[in-house]
Amino acid sequence: MSPRGLALCLTIALGGCAHSSMVLLPDEDGGHGQVAILESGGKPTNAIVSEANSRASLGGAPSIKPAGNLKPEEAALVGDLPPPAKSFTLYFLEGTTDMTAESGPVLEEIRSEIARRSGAEVQVTGHTDTVGSAADNDALSQKRAEEILNLLASKGFDRSIMSAVGRGERELKVPTADNVESPANRRVEVIVR
Amino acid sequence: MVGRSLLLALAVGLIATSAHAEIARVKSASGVAVVQRGTTRIPAATGQELLPGDYLETGKTGRISLTFIDNTRFAVGPNSRIAVSKFEYDRTRQQGSFVTQVDRGSLAIVSGKIAKSGRDAMQVRTPNSLLGVRGTRFIVEVPK
Repeated sequence: MSPRGLALCLTIALGGCAHSSMVLLPDEDGGHGQVAILESGGKPTNAIVSEANSRASLGGAPSIKPAGNLKPEEAALVGDLPPPAKSFTLYFLEGTTDMTAESGPVLEEIRSEIARRSGAEVQVTGHTDTVGSAADNDALSQKRAEEILNLLASKGFDRSIMSAVGRGERELKVPTADNVESPANRRVEVIVR
Repeated sequence: MVGRSLLLALAVGLIATSAHAEIARVKSASGVAVVQRGTTRIPAATGQELLPGDYLETGKTGRISLTFIDNTRFAVGPNSRIAVSKFEYDRTRQQGSFVTQVDRGSLAIVSGKIAKSGRDAMQVRTPNSLLGVRGTRFIVEVPK
């Protein structure tokens, strides 16, 4: 590098030498989100990268251009992303840990999904209907999730990769008014990551 | 009854926070790939858990891919040094905030629940910029 080039790089180095950049990609489902460039080179900006397949340089005044084809190392990086989480729903006979007939085969699907994944991890999430207070349902759904986690462990699922979460009545499968009984909403979702 | 429910909710909240310090797991790794926690360097093997504040470091041929508990996914490229500076997540409400710092190298991100929980709840910092992630898939590159 020429002394002048070196001097220039050192000057830039004070604000971060590297010429950073980002590429916005389409989402896996075809849509795409946005990335806001909140600060660049120490200054706030209003720039928003909003078109899929665009490349923005970072550090100075943001310049946003069509990305063209990804470089091989970029394509390799994207190819390395883990697969999206997969969700399964289990139903139980009211007040018991006995699975409904339909849920039996789902358990086997969960087992094979875990086996398929490298470093699999499992979140057991309890959901309630809208009967009772929101706070009570948080506690109830947490307790339910822990109960089902124990059930899965007793069926040979590795306890060390599982965790229990209660979502209460926040995520209704079938939307209802408050204080409505709904067996469809009283469920346990098993998320495999 | 209200008081009791509140206490119960608080207790559940406390349990949920303390029992789930784990924020992510390594899904795959190759080459020189390390999780640095304080002064401890842990090989980034498949299944390795991450805690807030951990650094991810890779060598010339190193790669790490991981998934966070809010469903955010990362792929870390070679010659990288990346910190999960902040990761706070309420798993019941699916709300939180997440700051990743890319000191050098490359990182592909698919954002998860935290990015959806509020405007710029997920941010990525490079040595010369700050990005607000608004529900998307993207790459950040910081050459040496």
